[in-house]
Amino acid sequence: MLEIQNVHKSFGKNEILKGVDLSVDKGDVVVILGPSGSGKTTLLRCINFLERADQGTATLGDLKVDLHSASKKEVLAVRQRSAFVFQNYNLFNNKTAIENVAEGLIIGRKIPKEEAYKIAREALDKVGLSEKYDSYPSQLSGGQQQRVGIARAVALNPDVILFDEPTSALDPELVGEVLEVMKEIAREGTTMIVVTHEMQFAKDVAKKVIFMDGGNIVEEGTPHEIFVTPKEERTRRFLRRVLPGEYDFEI
Amino acid sequence: MNSSFINMEFLIDTFFVALSGVPIALLVTVVALAIALPIGFFLALTRINEIPILNGFTKVYVSFVRGTPIIIQIFVLYSILPLVLASIFERYNIDFPIYEVNTLWYAFIIFSFNTAAILVEVFRSALKTVNAGQLEAAYSVGLTTAQAYRRIIIPQMLVSAMPNLCTATINLIKATSLGYAISLQEITLKAKVAANVGYNYLEAYIDIFIVYLILCITVEYLFKVFEKRLSRYKAVATA
Ligand SMILES: Nc1ncnc2c1ncn2[C@@H]1O[C@H](COP(=O)(O)OP(=O)(O)OP(=O)(O)O)[C@@H](O)[C@H]1O
Ligand SMILES: [Mg+2]
Repeated sequence: MLEIQNVHKSFGKNEILKGVDLSVDKGDVVVILGPSGSGKTTLLRCINFLERADQGTATLGDLKVDLHSASKKEVLAVRQRSAFVFQNYNLFNNKTAIENVAEGLIIGRKIPKEEAYKIAREALDKVGLSEKYDSYPSQLSGGQQQRVGIARAVALNPDVILFDEPTSALDPELVGEVLEVMKEIAREGTTMIVVTHEMQFAKDVAKKVIFMDGGNIVEEGTPHEIFVTPKEERTRRFLRRVLPGEYDFEI
Repeated sequence: MNSSFINMEFLIDTFFVALSGVPIALLVTVVALAIALPIGFFLALTRINEIPILNGFTKVYVSFVRGTPIIIQIFVLYSILPLVLASIFERYNIDFPIYEVNTLWYAFIIFSFNTAAILVEVFRSALKTVNAGQLEAAYSVGLTTAQAYRRIIIPQMLVSAMPNLCTATINLIKATSLGYAISLQEITLKAKVAANVGYNYLEAYIDIFIVYLILCITVEYLFKVFEKRLSRYKAVATA
């Protein structure tokens, strides 16, 4: 479904991504873990061309593009087949919930307005916002805004949805509702790459967990392999820090 | 009445004379805005995105306009433009009576030139209030840059630009009074010409004063209404 190869990216002299490979099968959820500054956001942004990689390729189904030198048309094609859920939601402030969801369908995909609004309503229903079609982002709580953000991504029916810490800007009591929605769309077979610090979500939902540090993928495997039998010392150290008390690796 | 400090009859008559200059003042304002809005916006983009040569050019242009009195800009452009145009026309053998051109055309050019520079700064600061995440979100749902600007960025940018746009428009209306220096048939010139006959300058000035006041208050009110409509999405209380 999605295969990323050898992604390099520097900001100035700082090499942030040092040759990252990643593959996701259709319908799978891949969770990326890693300490702050390890390049997780940058990786997702490179995949969606919000950042230009210095090197690397992406294969999305039958579409193969160079992450450094892709043409405008190729960039648009990749964006047409993927969707992004942002840490700070980034809903269009001047548009209502339903307009937010319909925008990419009507303008990006040229779907007739009637049909786009029908799809948008279904997507908002799915994330539990049937009452909020006509609310502006400023009228919604953080959790509701992020659910609109997820509806906006789901409505596009993309090959893959990229989530960048979708719950980390939320008040703790609002995290649950967003994770619930993400679990639901994962159950429905949506292909997802999720950067998150929610370890329970990773354990419950991920098909594959990737641990990144210093611009490299240090270790990857099933949730069991990463959380129960991690091989790398760096992975263990990270888990001990984020899940104190839960881990005492003595091998 | 006759012996009073103010000649009421003249005051009232001249009020309508001054009023007859309103169409020209408004025409110059509207045309200058129509030309300056797109140019100002485009140049603001070159500043924000730091487009190599244009960025520097815009900087110089803006500080030139902001650092000199409008009346001087009027005199300079009014004397230079015909010379430049004449030599261009001469070179290409175009037979054009450059010195018979209506001053209205000069007014359009001069006030557009001035207003565009003001608007560069208005749009530049307004664009900065729109979070970069808005453009990225638009990209992520498959919009092109042009579509993103048209549908997401510009509508939001306009809301924060409105108060400054209103100020710029009102300043422009008031600045058209300087058109009298190039014999533009606007409010100030018409009233002053009327006053010349009987030296009723005080009455004429009062009339001019009132006419501009009415104009500017009306424009300000219209901007308020428009701003309210544009910022609908903000006005609502958070849930
Ligand atoms: N536009 C940029 N310009 C310069 N440096 C940047 C830019 N974006 C990111 N960086 C740097 O790249 C490094 C990796 O950033 P990135 O956001 O990818 O990390 P992350 O793994 O997502 O971290 P976090 O968990 O804090 O979100 C950081 O050191 C950051 O300062
Ligand atoms: Mg990040």
